[in-house]
Amino acid sequence: MNSQIQAIADLDRVIHEPGRLMIVALLFAVDQADFLYLQHETGMNKGTLSSHISRLEKAEYVTVVKTYRGKVPQTLLSLTQAGRTSFEQYRKKLKKAL
Amino acid sequence: MDDVQALLNRPKFYYNIDGVGELAVGVMGMGYLLLFWLQVHSPLHSFWNKLYPLVIYVAGLHYGTKAVKQRITYPRTGFVSYKKSMAFWPAVFSITVASVTAFGFLTLLRHGVDSTTPACLIGGLFFAVCYGYGMARAVSWKWLVAWGIVLAAVVVAFLPGRILVSLTGDSWTARYFDAKLVGAFLLYWMALSMLLLISGGISFFLYLRHTQAPAQDGE
Repeated sequence: MNSQIQAIADLDRVIHEPGRLMIVALLFAVDQADFLYLQHETGMNKGTLSSHISRLEKAEYVTVVKTYRGKVPQTLLSLTQAGRTSFEQYRKKLKKAL
Repeated sequence: MDDVQALLNRPKFYYNIDGVGELAVGVMGMGYLLLFWLQVHSPLHSFWNKLYPLVIYVAGLHYGTKAVKQRITYPRTGFVSYKKSMAFWPAVFSITVASVTAFGFLTLLRHGVDSTTPACLIGGLFFAVCYGYGMARAVSWKWLVAWGIVLAAVVVAFLPGRILVSLTGDSWTARYFDAKLVGAFLLYWMALSMLLLISGGISFFLYLRHTQAPAQDGE
């Protein structure tokens, strides 16, 4: 198989989905962010965003901490080391494929 | 790939989504200006020439900005905590540029060369480039502010010397520094701070107008 095609086939499917790619890229640049921030930046509704986060959490790419900001519930998200490494590899492979 | 890079840049630009970043720098600039004015026009060993007013002012600004973010921005468009490394390199860059520039101008001053015009032009260009890179890339109308920063520098650089000298009067600073340079610094700093206050104020107004806190329910 051509190496470029191989690189496309090797892309991490968890990250490659556009919605999850947005979440991972946004979290990659920060220490942590809350659910509201991701919703605002991605334009996704709560249900869709929650399902993508659950998928990333299952892959151990994201950690979710439920807390409070005063009396208001707050969901804080951050990328795990595995998530950061996978995203860096994903970018390298994507660059190679393109 | 460009889209991924744009996504990676979004959290950096988010800091000034509400204009509070610019407002803080503008208020800081005006406060420093007032403090510097008081330092220039009061005796060398007065309260204003000590370090406490500056420390109190910086602490007030830090906690003031934090309070605005916590009460207005986070409930409306979300909370972001930045990596410490994000602040490191810009700080190193700024300190290096400031040190090299200060050394250059001090050398010129020692040799009796009038450095007001080059200082204004280089300073103006530096601030405009920093502003363009940090702020205007995210919001296109802010390029007007970047050009305003350059224009203000050019105007101050070519103002007649007597106008600039009149700003410092018979201050103690004239014993140690070129009075024309001090006057140019005061005037340019005021113009820069005003531009940032106006730009930040517009951004803050637009932010309040276009965003509202979502209804609270489960996430």
